[in-house]
Amino acid sequence: MWTYEKKLQYPVKIKNANPKLANLIITQLGGPDGELGASMRYLNQRYSMPYKQVTGILTDVGTEELAHLEMIAAIVYQLTRNLSEEEIAATPYASYFVDHTTGVYPVSAAGVPFDMKYIASKGDVFADLNEDLAAEQKARVTYDNLLRLIDDPDVLDPIRYLREREIVHYQRFADAIRITQDHLNSKNFYACNPSFDKGCGK
Amino acid sequence: MMNPMNCNQNSRRTSSCGSNCKSVMQTLRALDFAIQETVLYLDAYPNCCQALEYYHRLIDERKRVLAAYEEQCAPVTMYGNTDHTAWTWIDSPWPWEADAN
Repeated sequence: MWTYEKKLQYPVKIKNANPKLANLIITQLGGPDGELGASMRYLNQRYSMPYKQVTGILTDVGTEELAHLEMIAAIVYQLTRNLSEEEIAATPYASYFVDHTTGVYPVSAAGVPFDMKYIASKGDVFADLNEDLAAEQKARVTYDNLLRLIDDPDVLDPIRYLREREIVHYQRFADAIRITQDHLNSKNFYACNPSFDKGCGK
Repeated sequence: MMNPMNCNQNSRRTSSCGSNCKSVMQTLRALDFAIQETVLYLDAYPNCCQALEYYHRLIDERKRVLAAYEEQCAPVTMYGNTDHTAWTWIDSPWPWEADAN
């Protein structure tokens, strides 16, 4: 189960509203490579993991992604405070505003609502962990792209933090693959599926 | 009938607005980050005694910092409402508000 801590993992303190930027950053909430997808992916994959270290990594990284989800929502929230109708109408955020006002609703930068199809939970250790490596890289690229388009240091700071975390998570999933290989027959890692077959590996 | 504002006459209002509270919160954040990193490492390398010792040093420090924060400032989890006269859990600024950071 989860206990909620009433603090952001890393502080977000933005002085200047910027709905145009909010409309882009929201992609890390509801987009294909965002934090909601990441948390759902890891927290669902963990049930079929046969090795406690891998289950541990997926549980703890998945939980951290929920904390990141909250940071993105905080950034979007702070970027859309005290807006005038003219400020909204002048940006692509106007399309989001008509459906959601300045509420928070997980969509991509293009306005596509979050879709569970962005994630896979294949019930196979290698398939799942390799998806996780790719997911962290895609998230890192998305942050790279956002950083190119942001000037405000108040926004750059938490975004840079989130980008760094993707790189660390990537390393941990690489550890998880190595741990998995250690359990299996080095002559053929794919001889059986340790998430399903009895007596598969050691 | 209970006074809707306080549960008894001697109300002790905690305030998360003190400048000391911001500083203690930042210390807690930093500690929790170190713990998060150590936990992820231990998940992969549970037999690393050095990492486990480091984890315990961080946890001991965290217990002290959290207790001080919750006593003087505001609850960090729903289990930390130390005030017996008021439900302060919902009083402090929410984490997504600029004032909470």
